[in-house]
Amino acid sequence: MQTSKKGKFQIGLLLLPGLLIFGIFTVYPIIKLFLMSFFEWDFGNIADQKFIGLKNYRNVLSDRYFRIAFTNTIIYTFVTVPGQMIFGFLTAFLINQITRFKVGYRVLYYLPVITSWVIASLVFKYVFNTEGLLNYFLVHILHVTSQNIRWLDTRWSGLWIAMFLGIWKGIGWNMVVFLAALQTVPADLYEAAAIDGANAFKKLFNVTLPCIKGTILFALVMLTIGGFNVFTSVKMITGGEPGHQTDVVLTWMYHKAFSTGAFGYSAALSFIITVVLAIMAIIQFRMMQQKD
Amino acid sequence: MKKKTLIQIMLHLFLIFSLVIVVLPMVYMVSTSLKPNGALYEYPPRFLPGLEEITIENYLYILGQGKFYINFLNSLMVAGCAVLLAALISSALGYVIARFAFPGRNFLFSFIVLTMIIPGLTLIIPQYQLAVKLKTINSLTGLIPFYTAWTIPYSTFMIKGFVENIPKELDEATYMDGGGVLTVFGRIIIPLAKPGIASVSIFNFLTAWEEFPWANTVINDNLKRTIPIAISGFFGQHQFTQWGYVFALSVFSLVPILMVFIFCQKFFVAGLTSGGVKG
Amino acid sequence: MTINFWHHYSAQSAENDTLMNVLIPKFEEENPGIKVNAVSHEWGDLHEKILISAQSDTLPDVGRLDSAWIPEFEKMGILVALDEEMSDYNDVSAGLLDSAMSTASVGGHSYGLALNTNSKILFYNVQGLADVGINAPKTMDEFVTAVKALAGTNENGQQVWGYNEPALAGWNLCPFIWSMGGAITNDEETKASGYINSPETIEAIQILADLYSEGAITGWNSGDIPMTDGFGTGRYMMLLEGPWKIAEMEGAYPDFEYATTEIPAGKGGSISVLGGEDISMFNSANKDAAWKFIKFMTEPFAQEEMAKCGQIPVNKEALESDTAKEADFAPFIDAIATAKSRPTVACWSEMDSELSVAVTAVMNGEKTAKEAMDELAVTFDEMLAQ
Repeated sequence: MQTSKKGKFQIGLLLLPGLLIFGIFTVYPIIKLFLMSFFEWDFGNIADQKFIGLKNYRNVLSDRYFRIAFTNTIIYTFVTVPGQMIFGFLTAFLINQITRFKVGYRVLYYLPVITSWVIASLVFKYVFNTEGLLNYFLVHILHVTSQNIRWLDTRWSGLWIAMFLGIWKGIGWNMVVFLAALQTVPADLYEAAAIDGANAFKKLFNVTLPCIKGTILFALVMLTIGGFNVFTSVKMITGGEPGHQTDVVLTWMYHKAFSTGAFGYSAALSFIITVVLAIMAIIQFRMMQQKD
Repeated sequence: MKKKTLIQIMLHLFLIFSLVIVVLPMVYMVSTSLKPNGALYEYPPRFLPGLEEITIENYLYILGQGKFYINFLNSLMVAGCAVLLAALISSALGYVIARFAFPGRNFLFSFIVLTMIIPGLTLIIPQYQLAVKLKTINSLTGLIPFYTAWTIPYSTFMIKGFVENIPKELDEATYMDGGGVLTVFGRIIIPLAKPGIASVSIFNFLTAWEEFPWANTVINDNLKRTIPIAISGFFGQHQFTQWGYVFALSVFSLVPILMVFIFCQKFFVAGLTSGGVKG
Repeated sequence: MTINFWHHYSAQSAENDTLMNVLIPKFEEENPGIKVNAVSHEWGDLHEKILISAQSDTLPDVGRLDSAWIPEFEKMGILVALDEEMSDYNDVSAGLLDSAMSTASVGGHSYGLALNTNSKILFYNVQGLADVGINAPKTMDEFVTAVKALAGTNENGQQVWGYNEPALAGWNLCPFIWSMGGAITNDEETKASGYINSPETIEAIQILADLYSEGAITGWNSGDIPMTDGFGTGRYMMLLEGPWKIAEMEGAYPDFEYATTEIPAGKGGSISVLGGEDISMFNSANKDAAWKFIKFMTEPFAQEEMAKCGQIPVNKEALESDTAKEADFAPFIDAIATAKSRPTVACWSEMDSELSVAVTAVMNGEKTAKEAMDELAVTFDEMLAQ
């Protein structure tokens, strides 16, 4: 179809607001961030920003707090992504088998997703408080330990709570996504598999999972991005304490930027995270394609 | 027949059991909000308050503070505007990218999708400086364009998928009747992509309603704070925290989200499934 | 016209109520045409917010600042030198305590008026000490013995700590370091090696770390009971706290019986940390209106009202008033006489945060006190050299 002059004008009209907003508020900051990462750009000396090449990048990579934060982020992602997907898929799989109350389950399982990060983090912080309900339960009801456990106060237990929250909050989203995908699997494939004498497990691995591969990839990429985006929960639950042991990359970036004013350092850090994430997304796509 | 019923019952039992674990924290939040504030370090701590102990004093306290109404309206205004803007802009982008071959189309779409990879918060420094230049620091309207811009990539990606599922013949018929590009957009695309737009909008509403770090960084005045900032404002490091108030305010802040979610449930599921994701 | 005033009186405190319901209405009545928009931030947030706002020219007109921040903000060039810009500065400052005014002075100029002063003394649970049959500790050795004796479990089987320290920053550690004969830097505040890692400083940190590993002290971890609640419910037996704690306890735990005494003495004497806030003007301010408000806050009326909430006045007239005498600030005023300030250097906030991280590592047993303090000395020397 040939687009008329008037048509071209109207197309331009439709594109314009999007390009403007996207250009000003997203593209421009990306470019600015990239440039900042090569400059000495601190609170104290806003007036004279010196070009310092890759020094910010070297500072980030040699910083032991960054390494801790980066390791924490990787662990967070590698635990919460499969965690959410497995529990989400299982829930979807079960709901797909039942005949009644499907909608009811779907709504209730979705509750944590629509609860804001701030609120969910506060609830978890309250439950896992050293003097909180969970410790009372463990010490005085179950007697599995005699001392209150300092959940929030060590690196691994602090991270563990953030990861637990991440999984808890993500099950609903995965459930909805996988439920939709399961409904697209053609019933005759199952029938064919049944005729070949496949049991439930074989059906799952030979029919269901291959059929929803696209969805698995979609969820994998989205959740990996989500894992690197973790911020509010860590900030509210442990605040990076004790001594930056539970910081993740974004809370460390925020601390460096707004508590110490090291904008150049933070810009370099942001770029490093973005590159790592892009590489991971590419690897995920490749891996899924190879299995074809 | 019997065996099938048994399996169904097992499935339900299993689902209910895990559901209890999932909703437990929410129940605890509501139950704490109904306890007297002083019961914070009560011994022994209880999951549910005793019947005679139940009180709505925390809710009355929140309702008695004028500033929380304003915080609530602030959040509603910001989230509402951002959602409307994002819906309009992303539908237009999604439509044009799905239907018309213009120079740079593939580049534009790939670029939009690529920006989804960048963790939003990493842009906070240049975005902050931009907000300074635009004089939108400490201003509610200043939040709106940023929220809109953050939600555009995902929304465009999803809506484009929806538009591609709308038969092209409908466009053609409109052109035959003498309609233009805008007519197709208004009469065909928007109505038919409505479930997709609605589902994306629910998602966007949630994003804007609960957004914390950006609003916390740029908003200063009490009366300009959004709800998440107001909630976190109950915390001081060395003072005592009134968990009862915190959770009462939290329960209030969940109400709009719940309403949006319940009323738009069917769009929501439709949206997640048939748009960008093709199993 | 509206002037913006940022402070860190807690949002739910008596000080904030007095500010909002008594002082600001009175000021607005006396100065028609000027409105005051007061915003409360948490202490750490206020510091962060000011750094952020300095970037964007969105600073408020007036701020109530921790006096430890003044050198840093002066270096950033965001504060107004009041002695240069205000013609009646000398008349006003003459009415305020010299010792408190010195906290706002950098390089011979004055970047604020003293607003309130304070220091910390030892608070203890009277019944708790009586139960184990010991007197309030007078020396550091007695303090350590008391902390160990008081720690244990209560009748509900809940853990009880002998002492609570809500953070591990300079404000928290300095009384121990100084009283034990240690130091943060030399007197000229140019060098930390040999001071922050002196045997005395290391011993002070080691004592706290040992008490922590025995489960006798706590408080700085995210999962701990907040200080006021812990003290009022008998879970924390002793605290080092300032005058505001008296009003706080009165409000939250009116029936609780406690007493106070001076900081236990060590090799260095009984040395507390000097606290206090200054009220400063930012250079973007509307100077006339802001100056009126600053003066108002340091005049006897406002100072006496704040004294009722536990803020020790710095206005000489207010200090002699009946309100101040009734408030029983005497123990704090004695402590102030021998208290020391934290280093008045521009990089103090950064040093403070490094100190916290280093001591946290010692507490968690990741490093010995000597290792951590030796490393810290190197870091501090670099910061001080800049």
